[in-house]
Amino acid sequence: MSTSAPATSAPRKPMPSALKFDLHTKCSTTKARASTLHLPHGSVPLPIFMPVATQASLKGLTYDQLKQTGCMLCLNNTYHLGLKPGQAVLDEVGGAHKLQGWDRNILTDSGGFQMVSLLKLATVTEDGVRFLSPHDGTPMLLTPEHSISLQNSIGSDIIMQLDDVIATTSPDHARIEEAMERSVRWLDRCIDAHKYPERQNLFCIIQGGLDLELRRKCCAEMVARDTPGIAIGGLSGGEAKEEFCKVVDTCTGLLPDQKPRYVMGVGYPEDLIVGVALGADMFDCVWPTRTARFGNAVVPSGTLNLRNHTFAQDFRPVQEGCTCTICRPKDQGGLGVTRAYLHHIAAKETVGAHLLTIHNVHYLLSLMGAARQAILEDRFPAFLREFFSKLYGEKSKYPEWVVGALRGVGVDLMED
Amino acid sequence: MGSDASQRPPNDMVNFGLLNSATASTLAPRLGKLAIAGRNAILTPHYIPLTSRGTVPHIAHDVMREQTAISGLYFGLEDFIEKLQKKGCPPVYKTPAAPNESPLRNFVCLPEDPVLVLGPRRVPPLACPASNTPNSIAVLTTVGFAQLETGQYVEAVQKMRPDIAVGLADLVLTHRPGTKRQGKMVDRTHAFTTYSTEQLYGDAVSEENRSKTAYFAPILPLDNAQQTLYLEDLEDELRRYISGLALYESASLSVVPESLGDLPRLLFSEPATPHDILREVSLGADLLTIPFLGDTSDAGMALDFVFPPPSDAPATEPKPLAIDLWAPTFTTDTAPLQEACQCYTCRNHHRAYIHHLLSAKEMLAWSLLHLHNLHTMDSFFAKIRESIEQGTFESDVQRFQRTYAPQLPEKTGEGPRVRGYQAPSRGPNEPRRNPRAYGRLDIIEKFAESQSSVATPDTGAEGLEEHGFAKKLSS
Ligand SMILES: [Zn+2]
Ligand SMILES: [Zn+2]
Repeated sequence: MSTSAPATSAPRKPMPSALKFDLHTKCSTTKARASTLHLPHGSVPLPIFMPVATQASLKGLTYDQLKQTGCMLCLNNTYHLGLKPGQAVLDEVGGAHKLQGWDRNILTDSGGFQMVSLLKLATVTEDGVRFLSPHDGTPMLLTPEHSISLQNSIGSDIIMQLDDVIATTSPDHARIEEAMERSVRWLDRCIDAHKYPERQNLFCIIQGGLDLELRRKCCAEMVARDTPGIAIGGLSGGEAKEEFCKVVDTCTGLLPDQKPRYVMGVGYPEDLIVGVALGADMFDCVWPTRTARFGNAVVPSGTLNLRNHTFAQDFRPVQEGCTCTICRPKDQGGLGVTRAYLHHIAAKETVGAHLLTIHNVHYLLSLMGAARQAILEDRFPAFLREFFSKLYGEKSKYPEWVVGALRGVGVDLMED
Repeated sequence: MGSDASQRPPNDMVNFGLLNSATASTLAPRLGKLAIAGRNAILTPHYIPLTSRGTVPHIAHDVMREQTAISGLYFGLEDFIEKLQKKGCPPVYKTPAAPNESPLRNFVCLPEDPVLVLGPRRVPPLACPASNTPNSIAVLTTVGFAQLETGQYVEAVQKMRPDIAVGLADLVLTHRPGTKRQGKMVDRTHAFTTYSTEQLYGDAVSEENRSKTAYFAPILPLDNAQQTLYLEDLEDELRRYISGLALYESASLSVVPESLGDLPRLLFSEPATPHDILREVSLGADLLTIPFLGDTSDAGMALDFVFPPPSDAPATEPKPLAIDLWAPTFTTDTAPLQEACQCYTCRNHHRAYIHHLLSAKEMLAWSLLHLHNLHTMDSFFAKIRESIEQGTFESDVQRFQRTYAPQLPEKTGEGPRVRGYQAPSRGPNEPRRNPRAYGRLDIIEKFAESQSSVATPDTGAEGLEEHGFAKKLSS
């Protein structure tokens, strides 16, 4: 064990919680859970997909449109809000809820991931993330204390610790270990710096790359610090899906039942569903909203690229039977928007992006809702079979990683 | 005049009635009601919002339905007919529709109530390099310039079944035409109108095939004397086919012959300010199109005027007609865009948020601004009608002119301070030097820019430090 390893110890200050987590039931076969997360701005049914409103706005949707998709919890990015409108404005306006007129829940990341992935030349030291100002090259430092202070000003219901993010695919094992241990030390600094634990819930972030031993160690250290919720980080960085599943499976196996588990940056429907089966509760990803802007609709069979000319005269709704505002026929109070019309405006009018974003967010939220209902009724394995059958058609097309991951939790998709 | 049955338009779906005593006489403000079976009745004077590829820019269908009072919409056919250039059939023609439904309405997925007005071109139209010909006009689709033939336009009206079709006109967009060209404009437009109405409603067309679309015949932006023959024909032979008039400049309001005075007048005059609108209303305009509405929203501005102006307004300095939300003064301003405004935006958001959205280049900025601007225009017209009804219009207009600045504010469209080494800002709100040139390419470019999801920090080290995001390292 390296000398710099943190000792497993109680947190330096008690960690109040501003949430209540009701675990309703666990799937009798897989590790899937159905629960409700009560947050300061309303209750969130878990498992859940959280859309990303990067700069305090979700791709042109009004917050009433977002509410109509059923969304109870969305993300803002700390890095972006820190730059615009900035901390002073957030303080004066009274936080991000008041800034954007959203009275439901907000989760913010620490800003570190964006810093490392968007800025070249960011380096991590024990103090924090060093980087060069993108405009004048001045050396700058982002610390755990800065990140928490900013998230305190944002006033998000769930805030994330600053962690030492490196690519899971990094070959440098010593660096991965250092990052994991440093993330634990930074968690202590974040806990110390957190001004409003009674109204904002700080989540720790489990690191450790693809090394399951490091992940186990990190889980032990971080669980001991008793944060209101726990995130599994450092994934979605291009690692093999099998590795992703192993990490999630290992971590959820070590995490307490009574806390929400958030797998960061994962958002393809199949990833979400496998993640749920492996015992994760919360997911976020920009993909469903980003892809909407390019004319892609997410449907049970995959995605439809509505810019394709084959849709020019397709007067069906985006998804037959979908209950979103876009797809529902006019006589059922919906808009009855057709694929042909979306083809006509996709990537040409901002309204095309708005409409498809509504459908895509609704799709993922209702997919999670259907998974939750299946778990509550203890028929989640059947739900899994149906979901993957619709997505891939023939069994021969099922990805091996999906089949393998689900076998690991007692469901064999290849059986009938 | 125009009252016996044979003189009525062939379809009785459209009914325009004048409500005040100014009635048919020209050059006076007038109140009217345009009623089309199955649609919202439109009280006039009013305006018809403009669409781009079938949508009100930045306003999704559900937002339009729930948060606006839009009762009519204008569509340019050129937004729908790329396929014609490839000798194919435009998808809109193939939209499933019951006999009493409009394929255009179904294609753009709109509800039954708004009145749909179809014209050949977008408003304002982009000048085409090619000229019009004796039997076609030059148009612009997403795949390039094309000629839209008279027959093709008639077919479009038959296939799309809008409530109102604006007739083809031979207009010269690039310059003031010379006398010879003016003569051609009249001859061609006369021929277009004769041919189109004959094809749509003529005696040779069987009863059941007769178009239910109301035809608004163009009046050319020329003197009365230059288009006498055409106007006489409109009053006589063509009278029974036409349900309204389309005008391209406010001066044309004085060209309308008295016998056509009871027809609704739809203006494509491109007013630049609310003062222009008031002037056109005072000359007897019924329906207006207002391109500056969208331009204002795109420029990051919120209209800020009421009619009649508040009586307590001290007449020291003219009030600005709009506020520019790019201005740094709004950074922490949590007031609504306009005091007491009941629009969706003002009920739910504040200036600081709109300012943030603009500087973050988020699409929602334009949606929220356009909602407010549409609402402001709705209130403006409602108050205009009230003022005409009460007989105070003339004095209210004078007071409005004294109270408000003569022009909309200059567009700044600047984000945060631009530094010397930065490329000059090319934001979507860059002021357009030539609003008439606003076309599809701008839209596509603007859209592409709105898509850049990764915000690049555009502040230096001081900025980052000031924002509490990080601190400068000494050395
Ligand atoms: Zn849908
Ligand atoms: Zn307003």
